[in-house]
Amino acid sequence: MDKTEFIATVMPFKDRLYRLAKRILVSTDEAEDAVQEVFLKLWNGKENIGNYKNPEAFAITMTKNYCLDRLKSKQASNLKIVHSNYQTSENIEKNFEANDGVEMVFKIMETLPEQQKIVLQLRDVEQFEFSEIAKMLDSNETAIRVALSRARKTVRDAMIKKYNYGIG
Amino acid sequence: MELVNVKKLLDAYFEGATSLEEEKALQDFFNNETVADDLVQYQPIFAGLKAAKEERSSKAFTLPESKPKTIKTWWYSAAAIAVVAFGVGSFYFSQPHYTQEEKEALAAFEKSKNAMMLLSENLNKGAGQLTFVEQFTITKDKIFE
Repeated sequence: MDKTEFIATVMPFKDRLYRLAKRILVSTDEAEDAVQEVFLKLWNGKENIGNYKNPEAFAITMTKNYCLDRLKSKQASNLKIVHSNYQTSENIEKNFEANDGVEMVFKIMETLPEQQKIVLQLRDVEQFEFSEIAKMLDSNETAIRVALSRARKTVRDAMIKKYNYGIG
Repeated sequence: MELVNVKKLLDAYFEGATSLEEEKALQDFFNNETVADDLVQYQPIFAGLKAAKEERSSKAFTLPESKPKTIKTWWYSAAAIAVVAFGVGSFYFSQPHYTQEEKEALAAFEKSKNAMMLLSENLNKGAGQLTFVEQFTITKDKIFE
């Protein structure tokens, strides 16, 4: 596999990997680094990429593992996740700053346990089938459904609370 | 979409029991239609999920040049082999090498050297004895002076 072929294979899901990395790591910079890192790993193992039935699913699994490792090593070294990209960078949340509710949804999603975060991202944002997600996360469909339901309910309950007490 | 249907779908949605198509219908509903007051708290959820999908990576991906890397590793191994070869070689060549004939000659030389040493040792012993003779001569001269 040469460079052009590789790029053609991985580029279609670059943004997906980025969004997943960002969901887990929160920081924009770290998410970009994670994608770069995962692509490098894929490139170094490019002889094998053809062997995988679904390079995208493989890349997603790699991204998930890489990001969780990053989180773990950060906690181990007692570093706080630094992310200053809320108000400054031109990310999507900014466009919705006027919409208080949406921003809150993102905030709640940040507080979810990692597994629920990942499942919610893969299902509700990236719209993968349960069977695909189960394979990516090396889990089973029932567990995925349960995690997803919990994540959705957490978001819902927080929103209901917010609306009952009034926004702001 | 009918309000009753929306509510039914929502219930299923939060139980994790909706299909992708149904979820898409919910997304479309909450993002496009005016929503009744008792459903308004769900709107940000679907707006947020839709917004999350719009996010794009802004950093260009750069692949490292693969060629220099292979040359580099090739050089590393070449250099390592050269160093090892030099070490082994210099050790090998620092040892003297003799042909069979030379070895025999060397053995003969050792042997004759030993013989010479023996001879000179005995000669020195004999020479040592000569001092007595010398003393004898001196004493004799004193007496017969």
